[in-house]
Amino acid sequence: MYNLIKMNLYRMSKAVSTKVIAIVWIFLTLFNFGVMKIVVDDPFNIMSEADKATLATSSVASDLIQSLFVSSNFLIILSVFVVLFANAEHKCGFDKNLIGITNHKWKHALARWISAVIGMTVLMVVSSLIYLGTCALFLNAFELGSLATLAKVCGIVYMGMVTFSAIFFFFTTLFKSSAGGLVPSLIISLGILFMIEKLLDFLFNKVFGSTDYVPSDFLFDSKFLNFDMDAGRNAIIFLGVLCLVYTVLTVGGSMLLQQRRDVK
Amino acid sequence: MDYILTTNELTKTYGKYNASNEVSIHVQRGGIYGLIGRNGAGKTTLMKMIGGLSRPTSGSFEIHGKNGETTEQMMPKVGILIEAPGLYPNMTAMENLTTKAIALGIKDKKYLRGLLEEVGLSDTGKKKAKQFSLGMKQRLGIAMALVNQPELLILDEPINGLDPQGIAEMRAILHHLCNDRGITILISSHILDELSKVATQYGIIHEGRLLEEETKEELFAKCCERLELKTNDISKTLEVLNMMGFSKMEVKDDAINIYERLNEGGAITIALAKENIMTNEIAVKTDALEDYYFQITGGNKNV
Repeated sequence: MYNLIKMNLYRMSKAVSTKVIAIVWIFLTLFNFGVMKIVVDDPFNIMSEADKATLATSSVASDLIQSLFVSSNFLIILSVFVVLFANAEHKCGFDKNLIGITNHKWKHALARWISAVIGMTVLMVVSSLIYLGTCALFLNAFELGSLATLAKVCGIVYMGMVTFSAIFFFFTTLFKSSAGGLVPSLIISLGILFMIEKLLDFLFNKVFGSTDYVPSDFLFDSKFLNFDMDAGRNAIIFLGVLCLVYTVLTVGGSMLLQQRRDVK
Repeated sequence: MDYILTTNELTKTYGKYNASNEVSIHVQRGGIYGLIGRNGAGKTTLMKMIGGLSRPTSGSFEIHGKNGETTEQMMPKVGILIEAPGLYPNMTAMENLTTKAIALGIKDKKYLRGLLEEVGLSDTGKKKAKQFSLGMKQRLGIAMALVNQPELLILDEPINGLDPQGIAEMRAILHHLCNDRGITILISSHILDELSKVATQYGIIHEGRLLEEETKEELFAKCCERLELKTNDISKTLEVLNMMGFSKMEVKDDAINIYERLNEGGAITIALAKENIMTNEIAVKTDALEDYYFQITGGNKNV
C-alpha cells in the first residue's frame, strides 16, 4: 500500500495536468485576494457606501478560508484534479502493468484516493498560506481573529473537501472515464445538484407536510454547502458523521469496483 | 512434462457470447508458446484471464502448480503486455519504468537501466514516450513487463503493426529472453509466419475454442514439404520405393507422402513404369503453416 501511494505521488508529480491545475488554482487564489482588496479596502475609491454595504464581507482569517474553499471555484478545480488523476492510469493503460500481478486489486483504488487527498491537501495548504499571507500583508482590514475558530473552520472545510474528493473519485471509478467522472462532479460543484435537492425538499414538504427533517438534511453537499460555521457541537458532529458515511461508502464502493471488475 | 502454466477449461462469457470456451493449454517451462488465432478468436481474453486482468466465468489455471487462491501468490512472477503498452505518454522510458518499480518496491536504478539496454532503449534520454515509434513503445512495454523479474511473460500481439526491422528486433529480444534469461513466453499473434520463427509450442484457437496444441516438431511435420504420389497400386508402389531405399514415407488416403529425396520424382516414375505401375500423379507439395491453420479452422484466408 505504501509503495502504491508512493508510485501515485510520483506520477502525480510528473503529470502535466497536476501542474496546470496547481497554477490555475494559485492564480484564482490571487484573483480572490484582488477581489477582496477591491471590495474591502477600495484602494481606487470606486465604490459608494451603498456598494460597500451590499458587498460587505468579513476579512477575518477563518471567514477568508471558508470563502476561498467553500465555493464553486475550488470545487470545480478539485473535481477536475481528482477526476483526471483518478482516471489517468486507466486512460493510458498503465493499470494493466500492475493490477493483474498484485494480490489485492482494491488496494490500487484506495492508494489512488489517498494520493489524491494528499495532493489536494498540499494544494489547500499552499493556497491557504498564499491567500492568508497576501491578505495579511496587503489587506488593510485583515484580522487574524481567534486561532481556535480558524482551526475549527479549517477542520470542517478540510473534512468536507475530503468527502467531496471521495465522491468525485467514486464517479470516476464507476464510469471509468474522465467525462463520466466530470459530468456528475461538475453537477455537484456548480450547485446544480443543490438546486435539485432544494426542489426535492419542496416536494417532500408538499407531500408529507412540514416535518422536522427534509431529505437535504442527509445529503452531504446540501448540508456542507449550507453549513453555518458558528453552529454548535452537535451540528458539527452530525456533519462529521455524514462526511464519514459518505466517504466510507464512496471509497468502499470504488475499492469494490476495482476488486470485482475486469481491466479493459 | 514440466509445465509452468496449465489452464483447465478456462471460460469467459460476456452475456451469451463465449469469448473463451473451455480452453485448456499446457505451456512448457523455458519455451515460447505461440497462441495462433484470427482477430476475435479469444486470444486476448485468455491472456487477460491468465494475467489476472479478467475474472474467468468458469475453469481455472495453474502457475507453477499453484491454483485457486494460491495462484495469486505466483502472479508477481508474471509479466504482462496486453494489447497496446500501458505507458504514461508524458514520461520518459526511465520514468515509466521507475513508476512501476516504485509500486513494486524496487529501488535499483541500475537494474532499470539494464532493462532499457536489454530492449535497446538505453539512449532515449529525455524523449517522452509519446514521441516513441510503435516499435519503441512495444519494446518499452516489454521492459515494463520485465520489471518484476517474471518467470512467465505474457505478450499479446507484440509484433502487430511493426515494420520488418521492428519485427526482427522483437524476434531477437524474444530469443534473448527465452534462451539467455530462461523466461517462458506466452505470445499471441495472427501473423503466423512470424510466430513460426520464434515459437516452440503452438495452440490454435478459433471462436474461443482451442482446436489443437502441438510442439514445433509436430506442427512442422504436418506442414513440411513432401512428394505426393498417386498410383494405381499402392502396395506394389511401396515395395518399389522400399527397394529404392526410401524410408520416410506414409500412406495417406489414396496417396503416398514421401518426405526425403524430393528431387527424385523422375527416377521414381521410371522405376514404377518398369514394374508396370501407372503413375497417376506425382508432385512436390507443401502445407504452409497458414494453409494448415485454414485447414483445421475451416476458415478462409483472413487470419
